[in-house]
Amino acid sequence: MLLAAAILLIAVTVLFTFSIRDKDMPAPEPLSPTRHLDERRAAIYENLRDLQFEYRVGKLSDADYQQTKVGLQKELAGVLAEIEKVSSGAPPTPVKVETPKVTPGTVCPHCSATFPQPLKFCGECGKEMS
Amino acid sequence: MENIGALAILLAFCFAVYAIIGSLVGKWAKRPFLALSAQRAVYSVWALLTSAVGILLYSLIKGDYRMAYVWATSNHTMELQYKVAAWWGGQEGSLLLWSWLLATYSAIIVFQNRRKFRDMMPYVVGVLMFTQTFFLILNGFVASPFKMIAAGRGIVDIGDGQGLNPLLQYWTMVIHPPMLYLGYVGFIAPFAFAIASLATKQPGDEWIKTTRRWTLVTWMFQTTGVLLGMGWAYAVLGWGGYWGWDPVENASLLPWITATAFLHSVMMQEKKGMMKVWNMVLVSSTFFLCIFGTFLTRSGVVQSVHAFSEGPIGKYFVGFLAIGITLTVYLILSRLEYLKSESQMESVLSRESSFMFNNLILLAGCFAVLWGTLFPVITEAIMGEKISVDKPFFNRVNIPIGMFLLLLTGVGPLIAWRRSSFESLKRAFMWPALSGLFVSAALFAAGIRSFYALMSFGLCAFVLITVAIEFFKGARAISGKSGKNLLVSMFELTHRNTRRYGGYLVHVGIVILFVGFTGAAFNQDTTVELPQGGSMTLGAYTLKVVGFEEGENENYSWGRPKIAVTKYGEELPMMMPEQRFYFASQTPTHEIALRRRLNEDLYINYAGPGTNNSNVILQVYVNPLVSWVWIGYWVVLFGTIICLIPSKTKLVFPRTEVVGMTSKHAGKPAQVGTNENES
Repeated sequence: MLLAAAILLIAVTVLFTFSIRDKDMPAPEPLSPTRHLDERRAAIYENLRDLQFEYRVGKLSDADYQQTKVGLQKELAGVLAEIEKVSSGAPPTPVKVETPKVTPGTVCPHCSATFPQPLKFCGECGKEMS
Repeated sequence: MENIGALAILLAFCFAVYAIIGSLVGKWAKRPFLALSAQRAVYSVWALLTSAVGILLYSLIKGDYRMAYVWATSNHTMELQYKVAAWWGGQEGSLLLWSWLLATYSAIIVFQNRRKFRDMMPYVVGVLMFTQTFFLILNGFVASPFKMIAAGRGIVDIGDGQGLNPLLQYWTMVIHPPMLYLGYVGFIAPFAFAIASLATKQPGDEWIKTTRRWTLVTWMFQTTGVLLGMGWAYAVLGWGGYWGWDPVENASLLPWITATAFLHSVMMQEKKGMMKVWNMVLVSSTFFLCIFGTFLTRSGVVQSVHAFSEGPIGKYFVGFLAIGITLTVYLILSRLEYLKSESQMESVLSRESSFMFNNLILLAGCFAVLWGTLFPVITEAIMGEKISVDKPFFNRVNIPIGMFLLLLTGVGPLIAWRRSSFESLKRAFMWPALSGLFVSAALFAAGIRSFYALMSFGLCAFVLITVAIEFFKGARAISGKSGKNLLVSMFELTHRNTRRYGGYLVHVGIVILFVGFTGAAFNQDTTVELPQGGSMTLGAYTLKVVGFEEGENENYSWGRPKIAVTKYGEELPMMMPEQRFYFASQTPTHEIALRRRLNEDLYINYAGPGTNNSNVILQVYVNPLVSWVWIGYWVVLFGTIICLIPSKTKLVFPRTEVVGMTSKHAGKPAQVGTNENES
């Protein structure tokens, strides 16, 4: 009885461990060459989300908010460019970041928020743009 | 039966060794078959250890006193739950519990990640099974729970066992060790992932999320284990307190402190790619402190109420720690380039710097506790004489550290990530700081003169108001946008970022714990010998001995004085502390009488008969605010569970634009942005 139990214990565990069929082999893991950049992009989005929220609950001054936001957006632009380069197969190169030209009515004089087209009132702080 | 148990452990050892070799060779030689069979070997180890545990439990419950372990920890008079608890009531059984929990964690980790982290998993399996092999060596060859009692060449069947240590025959001991071990053992999961990420130089941070979740789960178990241990000490040891800075208590606190530091600093890695080396050090330290704690309990190097008898296993732990720490340090040093920070601290006034302070303070606390714990060992090595540091040393060093940590608990949430201006900080700090000062001033006016108590209550108010404002402002922002009421908005707010607001709830729990700890500044106690009919007064309470009962059952005899209690003249229910004498182990224990209230506990211990046999010796304690310690734990647990629930996030990026773009895309603004839902 004891011997049978011992043999059974050995047989079951050895069979389970080593009886691997071809169909048991896991399919190759889909690997994205931009995975770590995608993760970085998601982290920056999250940082931007946090930033906007902290600004809304009054933890940041307008100037701090704008400065941090611009910094994060530049970082994001760099990551997006890098993703595109990696996806298109070109070797990654350092990213040049340019600041777009400012046209009147597109930058809030109160909170420094920027907008693509001229506005009468700021979309961020609600104050007059002029 | 016992032979099958021993065979199962031996087979588990073979499979664990195979799993190490199979996974690493499979990875290096690119043989997926080997890697997969190594993962299956992990399941086999679990199944074999489960069989061994089943056999041990069966023997404990049925009372197979031919087995030395069963004889030493069980007897026929014990209730079923204590027969089960006898599994971890002795050295051999508790090492088997360690091993089984490790196998269980390993099986879960392998199953959870069977389609993920293909690159890292061989190393994860390698680390898990390397540790498993170490414990299986102890289970199989050094401290086997399946040894038989033999006289000459024959196995002897002794009619009954010695029974479990009576101090352990208490309900929290049924769940305290498994909880603490779930914490201790669980910290191997983040450690294994950290080592695997170093070995494979993982790009990206996906693995760190897995590591953080595992750390949070095991931190929750560790917290539960530590608090249950405090509950046990309070109710069973009869000295009126719940924390005595005992070496084994300290050993359970050390990994908790480093894990807490990691849970904070890991956010900086996730958000900004900073503190990577530091996080590696914290994860590794946490794991090795767990092993070190196990070593302290079992080697006999320090004296403790919790320690098992001195055995030969200490040197095995020292060997494992030496090998493990050397390999880890080598790996970290050889990967410094990979661990380089991706960004810098932008301002001293930022959440990042508050986290750094938090880490430094936690580290200082960890070092102080470690120093005090090892002081007897150090003095013995240097001077040849063991000199222990006592409770006042630990209190003197750790109370200021605790105060500073409490302050940072409130400061952190008020400061924004990356940078904050002085003006916004002034605005954010005003109400919480005023509330804290007001509470301290009011308590001072009410007659409290303890400096640390005033500071602690003031800081508790500061942190509570900080957290309340965080919830209120967040809920108001959601309410203003969605039109929902504040309570619904608060729920919504928490659901959108469970990690942040669950974390705030944990902070509230910590504040409540501190309220409970601060109550110790006002403890009163006395020891008196009273005759029948005699009375004494402590604080608002008057106690009178009005009778005495005694009796016995088959496990123990007992005696208990009947004590009539009045508070300010008002009669309270009778209290009856008890002294027991366990027959099998010839050991006396104390069952205290406790009247718990939110403002204070009345705690009476019957220490035994006095000089005249009819007299009773009573130790009486009035402990203010102790109940808040247990309430605080439940809040911490609730907050941790909230943190573990996935956040409800909808990534919609409709508005914010990139202001800078690559030269290739200049003039074609890319639409990126922030989650509108969050605003």
